Amino acid sequence: MRASLFITCYNDTLFPETGRAVVRLLERLGVELEFNPQQTCCGQMHANTGFRREAFAQAKRFIQIYRDAETVVAPSSSCVAMMRDQYPGLIEELGDDALRKEFEALLPRIYELSEFLIDRLGVEDVGSYFPHRVAYHASCHGVRALHLGERPYRLLAKVRGLELVPIPNAERCCGFGGTFSVKNAEVSSAMLAAKLQDVVSTRAEYCTALDNSCLMHLGGTMHRQYVGMKTIHLAEILANSEADNERFPVEAIR
Amino acid sequence: MNTSSRQGILERVRSATGAAAPARIAEAYAALPRDYVRQGTMTHEACLDRMIERLREYDAEVVETAPEQLLAAIGAQLEASGKRVFVAPEGLPSEWLIPGFDWKVDRGLATAEIEAADGVVTAAFCGIADSGTIALHHSPAEGRRVLTLLPDWHLCVLRASQVVETLPEYFSRCPQPPALATYISGPSATADIEMTRIKGVHGPRFLHVLLVHDDSIF
Amino acid sequence: MSSVDPDRVILDPRFAPPFPQAALPVLRNPQLRKNVAHAIDVIQGKRGKLVAEKTDWQTLRAAASDLRTHVLENLGEYLVQFEERCTAAGGVVHWAADAAEARSIILDLLRQENANEVIKIKTMTSAEIQLNPFLEANGVNVFETDLAEIILQLGEEEPSHIVVPALHVNRSQVREIFARRMGLKNLSDDPKELTNAARTYLRQKFLTIPTAIGGANSLIAETGSVAVVESEGNGRMCLTLPRTLITLAGIEKVIPRFHDLEVILQLLARSATGERMNPYTSLWTGVVPGDGPQKFHVVLLDNGRSSILAKPKQRQTLKCIRCAACMNACPVYRQTGGHAYGSVYPGPIGAILTPQLMNMQHAQSLPFASSLCGACYEVCPVKINIPEVLLELRSQVVNQERKQAGRIFDPLDLGLRIANFLFAGAGRFHAAQRMGRIGARLFTRKDGWIHSLPSVGAKWTQTRDLRGLPPQNFHEWWAARRKEAK
Repeated sequence: MRASLFITCYNDTLFPETGRAVVRLLERLGVELEFNPQQTCCGQMHANTGFRREAFAQAKRFIQIYRDAETVVAPSSSCVAMMRDQYPGLIEELGDDALRKEFEALLPRIYELSEFLIDRLGVEDVGSYFPHRVAYHASCHGVRALHLGERPYRLLAKVRGLELVPIPNAERCCGFGGTFSVKNAEVSSAMLAAKLQDVVSTRAEYCTALDNSCLMHLGGTMHRQYVGMKTIHLAEILANSEADNERFPVEAIR
Repeated sequence: MNTSSRQGILERVRSATGAAAPARIAEAYAALPRDYVRQGTMTHEACLDRMIERLREYDAEVVETAPEQLLAAIGAQLEASGKRVFVAPEGLPSEWLIPGFDWKVDRGLATAEIEAADGVVTAAFCGIADSGTIALHHSPAEGRRVLTLLPDWHLCVLRASQVVETLPEYFSRCPQPPALATYISGPSATADIEMTRIKGVHGPRFLHVLLVHDDSIF
Repeated sequence: MSSVDPDRVILDPRFAPPFPQAALPVLRNPQLRKNVAHAIDVIQGKRGKLVAEKTDWQTLRAAASDLRTHVLENLGEYLVQFEERCTAAGGVVHWAADAAEARSIILDLLRQENANEVIKIKTMTSAEIQLNPFLEANGVNVFETDLAEIILQLGEEEPSHIVVPALHVNRSQVREIFARRMGLKNLSDDPKELTNAARTYLRQKFLTIPTAIGGANSLIAETGSVAVVESEGNGRMCLTLPRTLITLAGIEKVIPRFHDLEVILQLLARSATGERMNPYTSLWTGVVPGDGPQKFHVVLLDNGRSSILAKPKQRQTLKCIRCAACMNACPVYRQTGGHAYGSVYPGPIGAILTPQLMNMQHAQSLPFASSLCGACYEVCPVKINIPEVLLELRSQVVNQERKQAGRIFDPLDLGLRIANFLFAGAGRFHAAQRMGRIGARLFTRKDGWIHSLPSVGAKWTQTRDLRGLPPQNFHEWWAARRKEAK
């Protein structure tokens, strides 16, 4: 099984440990991973802020880079949602028939991480060990765009030592929303404050999710307010095995 | 000025959508999917129980009665109300005008007279169990709309054969759309103040339903 | 405690401050935020239970969506059919191209009746055309009869929700308004007593004022009938007691046949108030001798709807049945309430409808007043893909702004254009990452985190820290690992 990793622009720059965890995890599961160094961004930030021409340029580049990949895996549900929900419209508006055909052939081969594990590899128990109390934040793109449903929960259920605590109002948006977090910073912060209350009420040690975007928003305010909780991408929990727990300890401060 | 606005609006609308021929529109309409529940699955008994349950959830008083006992039941309701002056629609069966009360039959009652009355007695067109809704088509036995609006107390005689489970079944009982209809699902209510539901803002605060177990299937 | 907002609420999109600015006073008002959250929690809770029990909920949504789409595709023919049937039944149908024309038609009708007073049923369409101030200025006393509208009218407040317009006002605020304006010194804040006060206040008006103005939930083309859905009974009063009734309705309100109500009505009350059916629904056709108003006028309003109809990606906006489920589900609305949207149509539907009704000349901040979480689309009974329309409108706003000279220096826009340049090539992207890492060191504190950034970044660091850029990013790690392996 071969897969090409789309790390995403923000994970590459800000959360390389998530990428390293994905590599560790998938290689442990016998996946032969490729990484195309030409990759940059899927175009979501631009599309969501109304810069469609620019978003299209990035979409086109993405499609061309990955057109021959057997499978593409991305540890980011919002980026995969971008491809499924917005690429078709962008291509129809600004692309041509050839690009559309290429994209239609590629699309079924693109997976968000939890989809890749459950649907493509057919595994739930990925050999993980994470002896901590964990709250799972269901990011909006995962819930409503990708309809991930039970997938993340099934993966978490198989992590040895992990105590999963539900977050009240689990499906309510954390308020990140990409550039919304700066264009409507105060409202975003109000939504964040409400979400923080719900997350903190779980008394979990870690808040995890499938998107570092939500986690940097939540984690950023946790850090600012000295809240006794850390954020961690689900890939890093899944990558952690008993052996790894010794060699690659989960980072002390996130 | 208005005819040119009419023309302008229709032109803009038609150029926005294209204008299909009526036959095509009818075809497209007929082809619209209707996969929702159009026929209930409850037995008639369960359906009546559901209707009663829903009515009582709305604090309507429901009394079941056999057809032979109907007049006695009406009398009992009127007596229990402690009221005297009742409005009756012109087409209400005359036997229902139980003696001992002050009946104002509506042959063109003035609004003030209706306002001064204590209550009203009517028939109904249909009951929809799913939502506890009473549908009035304002036939002669159901009366003008104002009759079931101004008096504070409404006794509604609903036959079991008039009760259906679902809203689509009510509509299937209307081969001709009614010119007037009122669907009552409980006494009036508002939740405008802190979402606290208060009953009886305008419209009758007291709804009494006599469910008559007539066996005839509609 | 006065309920009048110290920062005056402006619900005119031409003059309202942009959303991020308008939201600020609201965010600082704990009472209002509590009122809003309480109200929507109640409705959402009730709605949730009813949706869970309704096994055909999704098929009903699909049917409603297809039905409304079909109507919009053939709107002209259905409108003409409605007009024919309504006229044949004794109604008079008027067509208003815009708000000004609608106001003037209505005033003319009132003048023909020598009406200097009207009773009104709540209709957001009349708020859209700013009818009340216009009538008042022309010597007509307008008496709102819906409890929420009375609260707003007497309290000189603006609506903040399309179904529960006074949800931002709590009971003690209502008590204060009624005590002051109805002269009821000993009024308590018990909602029952407050409601009773409203009932008494209105009874005589219903019985004596011969002219009423209302709206419509549905216009039925097949029969020329109108359907109005309500809870309190004030609608029934206004629809049956007066001599003359004027119904104002947007052209998109039409549905093909009477039977189509079976779809709409099953969805509407569950979505709007969390009930299986609202207390009263009234249906009437033209003029019925001996029953109800003997003069009946319908004013069909365009006011920008035909332009929305013409835009394929945006047309779905007009499917709306005004249930407000979207704003009840919206995490943004939950924090800001309706006034921040600067429009009588707030929340997710308002964010797309308002700028479109303004032909994208105003309210351009509204399409951005969303985190694109999709909760609105999930609950919309007619399946309007609100996020899709938001994105389309965002791109239209950006294209407008591209033409503005000064815009090129807006820090966020500039940042996005630079980012786009960098994303076009791995070499540039990687170089920028390296430079960014160096630059970020300026802002990174000893704990490895950034606590304060300039310009657009300051909006982030207002309330959040940002972890400093790691010394080795992912692609560098991958390249190094590959080198080691060789």
